Amino acid sequence: MANFKKFWIPILFIILAIFPPFFLSQYWLHVMIISLFYVMMASSWNLIAGFTGQVSFAHAAFSGVGAYVSGMLAVNLGLSPWLGILIGSAVAALLGLGLGYLCIRMGGIYLSLTTLGFSEILRIIITNEDKWTRGTMGLQVPGFFAEYSKVSNYFLFLIVAILFLIIIYRIIHSEMGLSFRAVLNDELAASSSGINTVRVRVLAFTISSAMAGMAGGLYGHYLMLITPDIPSLGQMFLVLAMAVIGGMGSFVGPIVGSFALEILSEYIRIYGEYHVLLFGLVALGVARFAPEGMMGILNRRWRGRGLS
Amino acid sequence: MYLTNGMVMGVINAISAIGVSLIVGIMKVVNFAHGELYIFAGYFSYHLSTSLGLPPLLAMPLSIFFVFLIGILMERTLIRPTYGDEMYSLIITFVLSIVLQNAALLIFGPYPNKPPNLVSGATNIFGLFHYGNQRLLSFGISIGILVFIFYLIKRTWFGKSIRAISQDRGMASLMGVDHLKVNMVSFGLGAALAGAAGVIIAPIFPVTPTGSSAISLTAFVVVVLGGMGSLKGCVVGGLILGILENLGAAYISTMYRHIFGFVVLILVLVFRPWGLFGQKTQ
Repeated sequence: MANFKKFWIPILFIILAIFPPFFLSQYWLHVMIISLFYVMMASSWNLIAGFTGQVSFAHAAFSGVGAYVSGMLAVNLGLSPWLGILIGSAVAALLGLGLGYLCIRMGGIYLSLTTLGFSEILRIIITNEDKWTRGTMGLQVPGFFAEYSKVSNYFLFLIVAILFLIIIYRIIHSEMGLSFRAVLNDELAASSSGINTVRVRVLAFTISSAMAGMAGGLYGHYLMLITPDIPSLGQMFLVLAMAVIGGMGSFVGPIVGSFALEILSEYIRIYGEYHVLLFGLVALGVARFAPEGMMGILNRRWRGRGLS
Repeated sequence: MYLTNGMVMGVINAISAIGVSLIVGIMKVVNFAHGELYIFAGYFSYHLSTSLGLPPLLAMPLSIFFVFLIGILMERTLIRPTYGDEMYSLIITFVLSIVLQNAALLIFGPYPNKPPNLVSGATNIFGLFHYGNQRLLSFGISIGILVFIFYLIKRTWFGKSIRAISQDRGMASLMGVDHLKVNMVSFGLGAALAGAAGVIIAPIFPVTPTGSSAISLTAFVVVVLGGMGSLKGCVVGGLILGILENLGAAYISTMYRHIFGFVVLILVLVFRPWGLFGQKTQ
């Protein structure tokens, strides 16, 4: 029974995910694509925060690095976006490795402080070096497909998101994932049983930064306009809120959170820019009263019903 | 001239950083909403003195007191349940900073507001140059606050219990220190220090809701540079950063003022990660 659920439920969802382009309007297809971008971001952020307990505030910044590296290569050297996003995520991975190496040995607080600083600095550089980045005007970049099509972009995002999710699933259910959880539960015990806690955390941080870089590159070339909003702290907050509200430390949580918040924010947008304030208050309430998020609440309810 | 500006900024940095350091040292919690409290205090003092017509000398302590109350409220409702779980306290204060920033935009609007000066005119300093009286007064008030904080922590019973708790919480509570109350008051005190820095700076550099992350960042750099939990480190670190940023802004580029802070942060992490006055622990 467990095996049946494990394999068939994801496959069912993937099959269902093939159909939206055939009946959704262009507008809702766009919302779906953006949701898939947030799935990539929130799930990869959850890989470090939810599974190793490291709070990085540079996840949006790394997606910005991916987007701008790829975008500037395309604009200045005429490099294909397909190659560009690979280079972009490699650069994000290298920066992640550097920051991770410097901070993680000093403890979680240092990583949070330094990644926050990194985001802020990146924003200042991008807005001021407008010769290269076009500043707040935004950098116009080519798309992935010669002929602009939301349907092709939808499938591209779907494939990459599924790929990320498979990698994340494999990591958290591998020996490495076991050591992640060991580090999260009891750092002292984990390190005394021979797990190099610092190396495990730096590795997780690097992988997750690379994923953010890739997601950012895809996002930039899909919108065909890269602005400093991509690496902003506001964007970081949205990703964090999606993971927290959906359920941190759960594989499904950030996926549910991304779709829920992105679709919801489309409805709230009619009333003005209040969605950040609203999501913030909801995220505070969830972090305070239900730290396992929506998935935690649902799981408890299901388990409760099973018992009665 | 740049040196003097740097020193004025330096002592204000130090006050704001001690607010962060106190909370980190005692509770192992980083308050990411620090910059927002600073901004709130600036706006409070503007509205109390300009919109309500209170004398600035009354408006300033009143604003600091309001921010102290906000700090107490934050600790009591949101931070207290997270003790021992570093990750959730980081997430909660970050979310709180975004919420407060948006609330500030909604309540106060995006425009910078400047409370009235306490004094006007300028004084000739050692026959070298003229310097604004408001800045000199700010410098004096800041020094006064620093002396008061050092007295509070080093000489009073409250300070003793703070230091006892930051060394060994379990032992301190066995000795009869009410550690929850100390936590709450010190969180309020940390917030009040952010507020103090905010009301002192507001007449010199008007505050805006969007400036808050740069303010938090400066305080964090000072805390890491001085060494986490060290008060002396905050003062020295604050002065170093204040002078460095002003010299850098004057001779290299104003746009990149905050970059110097980040460069300092990275250099400290590479060469002396425990900071100038911090303890080298594993």
